[in-house]
Amino acid sequence: MGRQITISCFRFNPNIPGDKPRMQDYKLEEYEGMTLFIALNDIREKLDPTLVFDFVCRAAICGSCAMLINGRPRLACKTMTRNLPSHFTVMPLPVFKLIGDLSVDTGKWFRDLQMRTEAWIHTTKKFDFNALEVRMDNKIAEEIYEPERCVECGCCVACCITANIRDDFMGATGINRVCRFIIDPRDERADAEYFEVVGDEGGTFGCVGLMACDDMCPMELPLQENLAFVRRKMAGAGLKLTFPGIKL
Amino acid sequence: MELAKNLNASVNKSFGKTDLLVDLAQSISGVILIGFLWMHMLFVATIVVSPELFDALSEGLDKYYLAQFGIPATILVIIIHIFLAGRRAPLRLRDLRITYRMASLMKHYDTWVWVGQVITALGVGIMASMHLWTILTHWPLRAATSAARVASNGPADITWGSFTFPYYVVFYVIFLIFGEYHGGFGLYRILVKWGWWERHTMGWVLKGITVIIVVLGLTALYTFTKIAANPALGGAIH
Ligand code: FES
Repeated sequence: MGRQITISCFRFNPNIPGDKPRMQDYKLEEYEGMTLFIALNDIREKLDPTLVFDFVCRAAICGSCAMLINGRPRLACKTMTRNLPSHFTVMPLPVFKLIGDLSVDTGKWFRDLQMRTEAWIHTTKKFDFNALEVRMDNKIAEEIYEPERCVECGCCVACCITANIRDDFMGATGINRVCRFIIDPRDERADAEYFEVVGDEGGTFGCVGLMACDDMCPMELPLQENLAFVRRKMAGAGLKLTFPGIKL
Repeated sequence: MELAKNLNASVNKSFGKTDLLVDLAQSISGVILIGFLWMHMLFVATIVVSPELFDALSEGLDKYYLAQFGIPATILVIIIHIFLAGRRAPLRLRDLRITYRMASLMKHYDTWVWVGQVITALGVGIMASMHLWTILTHWPLRAATSAARVASNGPADITWGSFTFPYYVVFYVIFLIFGEYHGGFGLYRILVKWGWWERHTMGWVLKGITVIIVVLGLTALYTFTKIAANPALGGAIH
């Protein structure tokens, strides 16, 4: 027989008139290979059909199941219950708009970010349907792939005190996004143009360096590295300095 | 992340350089101050070698106007640093509450360290003013006068039986630890934000340096109390 676990869930549905925020305990039996995704579904199936939470891919790809698990933002589908104590809490991510219980609306936030960072390839080249795609250097492709692995779960935003305090701060995910385009040779934006996107306190210069993002990113992106890279790059662009021979 | 912000970003294109310059100046002032702090502690620690060395160094600093120039310059940098770094501190009640809640929920080491930096900043600000006031009103600084200052109210009293509170020693121990904590982790954060180095290794290196400096400072304090208690070394028991 598996371990008895107790999950304290945050419950509050802003759409139900008169509903009050509270923590509710659910007891269930743990079994082999149980993730928090499975546990929450068990709760919804057997104990409480009203519990609200998000899942799509259950394979750490879509980023919709991020929540505070024992206080730390993580992906529920990537978290094994056996690595948690027998009594733990789950809460929705802060910063984002609460939809109900554990579900938050990260979509709007990330859409805003998309617009704000102009997260698409800016190019003057005309796209030719018939031509072969231009080959990319493997090393660069790999470099782009690192920041590109971001699943937009919002964990780095939720655990960032700066993002919690200031609603105009784009968080590690935003700076990381810009990093991805800076590396990409197909994006023809000059550094001065990137500066207009992240060169303020809402972007790279708002970061205090608390590194919760770096510690808690479920995809383990090298956020310290990427954030520092963008900061140096943007400082160089702002001061109109170039450092030949130095890899920023 | 409001729509207004997006509109602002796309319609009113330029951010200007203010945010960059302010952020850069904050980091630079921090680096200058930690450089000053470490140098200061090394200078003070010369007392451990010999009071003569301490005096020679001190006289040298006066003679070449390094102290006369250095002290006002340092005060200026401190004031600048307070304004620049202070804007990052959670000062509003709302911000304090969010910071406390998130830090306690996440139990995240670096976030708590930062909370400690904010608290020590307050302490260092107050104690640095007190320290400056005492040294400037007891100019010039020499081994004997410094020893007398450190030892006033307590430790120079050889008879610990009639205990008097060692005000200055306690003050300097707290000041030393607060200063080194704030400076050491401050430099760590600056390097994390700008540097190329993996932060865990770098953190350990900086912790190592900080411990060495704190030990040096404590040894210097101890030496001062010994000098103060020993008339042969020019000490005057109050
Ligand atoms: S369900 Fe898609 S990331 Fe967890």
